[in-house]
Amino acid sequence: MVEFSPQVIETIIKAAALIGAGLALIAGIGAGVGQGYAAGKAVESVARQPEARGIITITMLIGQAVAESTGIYALVFALILLFFIIL
Amino acid sequence: MNYIHFATFDIQAESGAQPIFEIFGWPVNDTIFIGWIISLGLVLFSIVVTRNLALRPGRLQNAIELLLEYIIDTTEGLLPGGGKKFLPFIGTIALYIGISNLVGVLPLAKNPTADLNTTVAFGLTVFLVSQGYGMQQKGLWRYIKGFAEPVFFLLPINIIGELAKPISHSFRLFGNIFGGSVIIALAAFFVPGFIPVPFMAWFDIFIGLVQALIFTMLAIAYISVASE
Repeated sequence: MVEFSPQVIETIIKAAALIGAGLALIAGIGAGVGQGYAAGKAVESVARQPEARGIITITMLIGQAVAESTGIYALVFALILLFFIIL
Repeated sequence: MNYIHFATFDIQAESGAQPIFEIFGWPVNDTIFIGWIISLGLVLFSIVVTRNLALRPGRLQNAIELLLEYIIDTTEGLLPGGGKKFLPFIGTIALYIGISNLVGVLPLAKNPTADLNTTVAFGLTVFLVSQGYGMQQKGLWRYIKGFAEPVFFLLPINIIGELAKPISHSFRLFGNIFGGSVIIALAAFFVPGFIPVPFMAWFDIFIGLVQALIFTMLAIAYISVASE
């Protein structure tokens, strides 16, 4: 059984929190792919029906906001790890 | 480690909510204080605009009527017959969140929406209004039965799905605005001067307006989904 001093344990916890914050942001891949797919489909629709541009843009923004929420959860967790665990 | 500690401390003081004074032992954050100022300003603005309404509107009245008609039309599209009924609620959300997101451009002002207190309050209000309106429109029995559809054993999943709505609704706004202000604070910390200005234009003005629109549209959509 190895005994660590409190300072070493604190440093390990901080390092783990930083690594965890970095790993949490991998979730941004999903949000990015989803948003890009929605934007691409919206461009296709506008090219097909230019007169429906307004309603397509609003629908695209709402869909992107819903697709974004997993990325936002990851961001909030990363910020919690950075600001509330480290300090 | 020391360097990271110093940097994060500075960023938190820059963009996180800080208690500034206490009322009867309750700490009041600066974000909430700015929220009070914005509410007071909106009330005074509404009094000034509606004090002498004319049949032939002036410039200010015309602009406000355009905004209100846009809100009524958008609500009417998702929630037929509810445009006028939900105008006070939806209009308040749109105006307050829109101005809260834009206020970060001013120096020394933090966005009230970069504080979870504000966004969770709005998310819970929308949740309660949507559930109450659904109960009123469907009747109590059909409302309860709506959770057990299409088969009975999906009941817990439906309830969790319903409870996740206010969480994702409020965390989306909080995460966007707080993340934006953290990035602006980082840019201002490492490269002071004019470099943070385009970041502020993007995160405070564009993202702020888009998030206000999305929060409002999702509030309408949640109310409409809960009532059908």
